[in-house]
Amino acid sequence: MLRVENLTKVYEDGTVALKDVSFSVEEGEFLVIIGLSGSGKSTLLRCINRLIEPTEGKILWNDVDIISAGDKELNQIRRSIGMIFQHFNLVDRSNVITNVLAGRLGYVNPLWSLISYFSPQDIQRAKQVLDQVGIPDKAYNRADELSGGQKQRVGIARALMQSPKMILADEPVASLDPVLAHSILGYLEKINQDQNITILCSLHFLDLVQRYASKVIGLRDGKLVFEGTKEDVGQISDERFKQIYGEEAQRLNVG
Amino acid sequence: MTTKQSSKKQDRSYLNGILSAIIPGLGQMISGNFGRGLLIIFSILTLSGLTIYTAAQRARFPDYQISAQIFITLLLESIALILFLLAIYYIVNRFLGKEEFARRVSQAFFILIAVIVFGLVFDPVYRMAEPVGGERQVYELTIYLGAIIIACLWLWNIGNAVQTSKTYTPSMMAFILLSILGILVVGSQITQINLPKAIREYKDTQIILQRILWPWEAAFDYEASDLRAETKVQAPCPDPAEGLQPAKPGETETWIITQPACGEVSTRDMKGNLTLGTKLTISGGGFEPGEIAYVEWKNPIGNAFTPRGVGETEIMVGEDGTFTSELHVPDTVIPSTAIGPQYHTLSVYQRGVASFTGDLSKEMNLALQAMLETIMMGLMATFAGIVISIPFSFLAARNLMQPIRSSLLGFIGNIYGLVLGAWAGVSLGSIFTPMVGGLEKSPVLTAFIYLILIVGLGILAFRLMGVILEKITHKLPTSLSHLISILGLVIMGLVVGYILGQAYAHGVITITRGENVANHMAPSTAKIGAVIFGVLFAVMGIKIGPNGQVPTGNLIYYGVRTLMNIVRSIEPLIWALVGVIWIGPGPFSGFIALTIHSVAALGKLYSEAIESINPGPIEAIQATGANRLQTIVYAVIPQVLPPFISFTIYRWDINVRMSTVIGLVGGGGIGFLLIQWIRQFQYEAAGIAVWLIAITVAVLDYVSAEIREKFV
Repeated sequence: MLRVENLTKVYEDGTVALKDVSFSVEEGEFLVIIGLSGSGKSTLLRCINRLIEPTEGKILWNDVDIISAGDKELNQIRRSIGMIFQHFNLVDRSNVITNVLAGRLGYVNPLWSLISYFSPQDIQRAKQVLDQVGIPDKAYNRADELSGGQKQRVGIARALMQSPKMILADEPVASLDPVLAHSILGYLEKINQDQNITILCSLHFLDLVQRYASKVIGLRDGKLVFEGTKEDVGQISDERFKQIYGEEAQRLNVG
Repeated sequence: MTTKQSSKKQDRSYLNGILSAIIPGLGQMISGNFGRGLLIIFSILTLSGLTIYTAAQRARFPDYQISAQIFITLLLESIALILFLLAIYYIVNRFLGKEEFARRVSQAFFILIAVIVFGLVFDPVYRMAEPVGGERQVYELTIYLGAIIIACLWLWNIGNAVQTSKTYTPSMMAFILLSILGILVVGSQITQINLPKAIREYKDTQIILQRILWPWEAAFDYEASDLRAETKVQAPCPDPAEGLQPAKPGETETWIITQPACGEVSTRDMKGNLTLGTKLTISGGGFEPGEIAYVEWKNPIGNAFTPRGVGETEIMVGEDGTFTSELHVPDTVIPSTAIGPQYHTLSVYQRGVASFTGDLSKEMNLALQAMLETIMMGLMATFAGIVISIPFSFLAARNLMQPIRSSLLGFIGNIYGLVLGAWAGVSLGSIFTPMVGGLEKSPVLTAFIYLILIVGLGILAFRLMGVILEKITHKLPTSLSHLISILGLVIMGLVVGYILGQAYAHGVITITRGENVANHMAPSTAKIGAVIFGVLFAVMGIKIGPNGQVPTGNLIYYGVRTLMNIVRSIEPLIWALVGVIWIGPGPFSGFIALTIHSVAALGKLYSEAIESINPGPIEAIQATGANRLQTIVYAVIPQVLPPFISFTIYRWDINVRMSTVIGLVGGGGIGFLLIQWIRQFQYEAAGIAVWLIAITVAVLDYVSAEIREKFV
């Protein structure tokens, strides 16, 4: 269970990325974060696994405060939180299976990993995970030979290798076409329902939100301006919509 | 708009006129009619030159200087006179105004006066020509007329400049071209570019250059059915002189003896002046009568050469097959490390029919060996450079270093720990090393032990102190721990300042005011330094605050970067000099020089490759819970591998090139041979070396380009 309390992030030049954000997520939820670009969605996700250091606040993950954790503890927390990115963030020159195995880095013996040695069980598991996401035959291709959708699936596979309890997804489908978007989100939904992994995902399009989310929060200028279930999303009035997205926003239906 | 423009041009026109008065054509060039300006100045220069030349030719003893002086005088006087006459003409015209007839008359009268004036004025100038040997040099009408014509041209050019500036628009191009022209002129003066000299001297050097350019005759061994005789000469003379018994005449078929059998070598000073050594009288017999015999000298190292400037090297053998000749001991190298008697070999030979044995000559073999040495030197230096520079390159990568920060206490603990650990290492080292024999008996082991102890204990204490300090102060209130850290900083500042103050005294004051003053002032400068830095560090400590972070990563980054830049700006040739002084001549010192420079250069290139990587994968790998080292291996290294390889091959290329010339300063390899052969005038051997260098570099160039294409 994730509880975020009064999370604030102020950059050195004064930009306020997050202001006093508080919310909680139950285990097994599919939480979607909506808001304009620059509203703090990415910052929020990155604060949760401390890729960005928050300025103030508490993030309690199963009653452990992530923010005050030491280095070693942080690594242990991170290995049970997977993350997928908008631009996939794969290591292009390495092959797919190495990218996937990198998900295991938090668990394996550091010395072995330095010479790229992984146990046969890990390799077996990697192949299984690739099978799960539907690209078992691409295991030994170089990562930059894949299409966008395939790359994102590798990203998901990498996150799955961590046997995570929670997956953070930073706009995972923003670079993909609508059909692929449904496909990828479908995988996430499957993982969420079959393995009871909590998903925190930021999305742009409300119809995707309506289809997949179990809970929604909305950010604007770093502040929490909306919190609700997916039914609530379907019933957002135009006025409320403008509150979240700003005066110039218009509803758009995609796919 | 137009009025403003025309008034602007109006202002400029006088300026242009003045410019053209000083340098004809300049005004036109600047105001936009570059072509005409150029034409004017070239015309005036050419005409002046022609006038002076012709006049000088017609004089009995052509002296360009006098001709030029007279010409310039005439020119200036012509200009002045014409201006004067024009002024009078103008005035006369003004006053006589409308009356046509009066004007005509005055004009005619005016021209008459002009001619008389000119004639009168110029005659004394003629008399400037000095009588030589009783005769008078006659400078004919050429110089006279030339000066007048050019004067008219010059004056016309002034008026034209004023006119041009009214109709043409000034262009930037003119300024740029003129500046470039100016720079070229000044530059070629300063660099003493002298094309005629190059062409003139080519003829003399043609023979030598030809030998260097096609030296292959010296590459192969020829079996000479030579008639050769040799004898040993000792130089310097041993003390007491051991009797060297030369072969007695008649004992061998061809023979030579020298009288005396030992002597002193000639010496050549820096300017190339030769001081002759001992004179040897050579007598020989058993040679082919009527044929020339050649003299060859071989020094104790084994270099054979034709001695120059010390006597006859081609001796005509008499009818009975004998000859006598004189030769001074030539200037040659005697190795300073040589012990024992140094035997040189004097040989005299007559060329028989040379037949090619199919073997490579001695020089070719030496050159090939040296080339191998050179290539290996370059290769080894590159390897060593790669290995050493990789850790430095990570330290010099801004994106990796910036996030590294430590708390104030941690930082202080680290520094103190490092110092303490290093000191402990040194002390322990001095205790342990006598047990293995110390520096004299086993230097490698000693150095090794010291290194391990210092580095190991240093790193250990580095980490330990930081941790200990943090544990201790964990319990204390923040203000107290902050105070402790400030205190720690102040002590560091005092020490640093003290040392710097001493250094300033002994380094700087010794130079400016002398050693006595320096010693006297040292304690006070040290104290001042300590105070300054103590305060400085204290201020920094307060500014950072109890919870602040010391940007240790950034400090390391700047330090390493600066060091690398300094090392990189010192060319490998200079490092080779350092190496030669330290280790002595040979490929090892060349290797060291190349390695030092490679480390700095590769470090910079590699760190730039690291800085240009995509940060996304780094984020992703960090998010899986990997530690810093794993992040580097999985996210950084795969991204920097292509540029790494590319830079490495580039550096290898450079190192091989550098290693060919590093021998010139003593670094071993082919350069070493090259400079020796040139100094000994063995131009063909030098040519072989040059060819080998060129071939090797070309081949390696090609190979490295191919590798880079395949891999990157």
